[in-house]
Amino acid sequence: MTSVTPDSLSSAPPEILALGPVAWAKKNLFSDWFNSLLTVIIVGILGWGIFRLVSWALTAAQWQVIPNNFGLFMTGTFPSELYARIWALLAVVCGLAGLSWGVLGRNVSTLFSRSVLIGLGLVCAFIVLFPPTRPSSLKLLPMVALVAIAAVAGRQVGRKFPGIGKWVSLAWFLSYFVALWLIGGGLGLTPVSTNDWGGLVLTLFTAVSGIVLCFPLGLLLALGRRSALPVVRLLSTVYIELVRGVPLVAFLFMGQVMIPLFLPIGSRPDRILRAVIALALFSAAYLAENVRAGLQAVPRGQREAAMSLGLNTPTTLGLIILPQALKIAIPAIVGQFISLFQDTTLLSIVGLAELLGIGKSILANPAYLGRYAEVYLFLAVIYWFFCYAMSLASRKIEEKLNTEH
Amino acid sequence: MTQSQTEQPSAHATSTEPVIVARDVEKWYDNGFHVLKGVSMTVYKGEVLVVMGPSGSGKSTFIRTFNALEPYQKGSIEVDGITISHDLKNIEAIRREVGMVFQQFNLFPHLTVLQNVTLAPIWVRRWPKAKAQEVAMQLLERVGILEQAHKFPGQLSGGQQQRVAIARSLAMQPKVMLFDEPTSALDPEMVREVLDVMRGLAKSGMTMVCVTHEVGFAREVADRVVLMDGGYLVEENTPQEFFSNPREDRTQKFLSQIL
Repeated sequence: MTSVTPDSLSSAPPEILALGPVAWAKKNLFSDWFNSLLTVIIVGILGWGIFRLVSWALTAAQWQVIPNNFGLFMTGTFPSELYARIWALLAVVCGLAGLSWGVLGRNVSTLFSRSVLIGLGLVCAFIVLFPPTRPSSLKLLPMVALVAIAAVAGRQVGRKFPGIGKWVSLAWFLSYFVALWLIGGGLGLTPVSTNDWGGLVLTLFTAVSGIVLCFPLGLLLALGRRSALPVVRLLSTVYIELVRGVPLVAFLFMGQVMIPLFLPIGSRPDRILRAVIALALFSAAYLAENVRAGLQAVPRGQREAAMSLGLNTPTTLGLIILPQALKIAIPAIVGQFISLFQDTTLLSIVGLAELLGIGKSILANPAYLGRYAEVYLFLAVIYWFFCYAMSLASRKIEEKLNTEH
Repeated sequence: MTQSQTEQPSAHATSTEPVIVARDVEKWYDNGFHVLKGVSMTVYKGEVLVVMGPSGSGKSTFIRTFNALEPYQKGSIEVDGITISHDLKNIEAIRREVGMVFQQFNLFPHLTVLQNVTLAPIWVRRWPKAKAQEVAMQLLERVGILEQAHKFPGQLSGGQQQRVAIARSLAMQPKVMLFDEPTSALDPEMVREVLDVMRGLAKSGMTMVCVTHEVGFAREVADRVVLMDGGYLVEENTPQEFFSNPREDRTQKFLSQIL
């Protein structure tokens, strides 16, 4: 009989055997004839596709359309003599982003790990090498530096005042109004009509406004649908089911045409405002269902434990149920935010010159006839960048909120 | 010998001051099932009452009516002199005085152990944070989890979690503690540490109502043992009589199944 001696029970995990590249390929790619065949076919198709794309991008593509219209892509018809205000807005956002990064990472040993350094290096290289940014790269590089400096400062401040998180959130909230002021003017700045808001700035502005508005609304609808009061429950359910049954395009047109009908004659709310409201009302219905899924995933015992301690319903909801429900629903909620961001492209249908709309109008210019592939590829990269950033952020938040281990 | 046999049991004297008075409580579930068929019971200050019975007998449902987690349709329940009504303020007032420990612990997983224990004193009793934390640390020391105070519940063993749950209930300084099968979800080796805490609590004079299958605990700590079956209260007896010389055939049958 063999027995296991304590010595052989090492508490360290077994070492993973490192495979050489040849052995790795043999194990994972060519383990039998069928896998080998699949590997060859897939590598062939991928390689051919990438080769075609790269050779097109380097030889056939005429990228001149991007740098020539870079200002349009970013800000639409925003007056170019007021670009300084957009730069100021970018600086505010970069500073706040760096600050938040530093405050959140105040307990991490180093802010600038290898992967972060590689990422920053890639961004800098992109700014320097990418043709359209070249005239403004002198301003973009300092922005990257600003993020880094703010991060270091944020870490110092965060270590000294652990309660600073609330103030950073407040600063983000206030930055929204600063953005509104910098873009729209007023209060000492030259006003810019919303007809001149456009491009990426308009896309980001409508997306952020939509997200900020639809979140509380979705939360209330989700709670309403689970309310003990039949009237509240019925109204929430009817709203959610009605909105989910209508396509967003129809909703946007209704927003443009019907919102003015409900308002006193003569008061015509701004086109962008109407679009943002329609977008938020639409997304709120979907968000409500995501939040409701989260609420249903919180075990009944949590509510019972809170109530048995004498907590009243609002406190139970705010301190026990919602924090857990929202944590569960983060992936779905962020998914909804990402699709809201992409849905802003539909605003071009109702005549707003957001990023895609600007792209279309540039393509309508005879000088850039037929430059579809270049323009749409460029736009796709921009959309991908922001959506990927959101999903990366959601993963970080999930990690941070994980209390299981 | 005989003297010690009859006088041995409870470590503390029970008063005649009632804390919970349940009269003819009847309850139907939403699906029409008649789960409590007129149960009356009085819990006196300082006593430990153990409720036993087969599963589905209504024992958990019964003690959950004491802090209005389960509504009932007929009869009346008085806790600390307040009759349970539908009024929310009235229910919250009763829950402040009644602690409850659940089979599944039900700790708040997103809060640390210390936050779990201080939550209700801060938000319900309106204690300043410092005072709540001081009391919480004392309680955590009492249940032997002081060094885990800043961990999250998910990082503790089941036995430790249940001890935190007991400390969380005690932090509200309740007049009576309800235990709903507190050791049923635990691995066998962790049952003892929880029962030890409950023993200590009983010795300190806490009024306790325990639904449990732990015969050893009932024999040693209980002042009275009751058997519930099919929605009725079948027998109410001293632990010695209950386990060695029960009055009812049903009790005998139940004991033969669990002993």
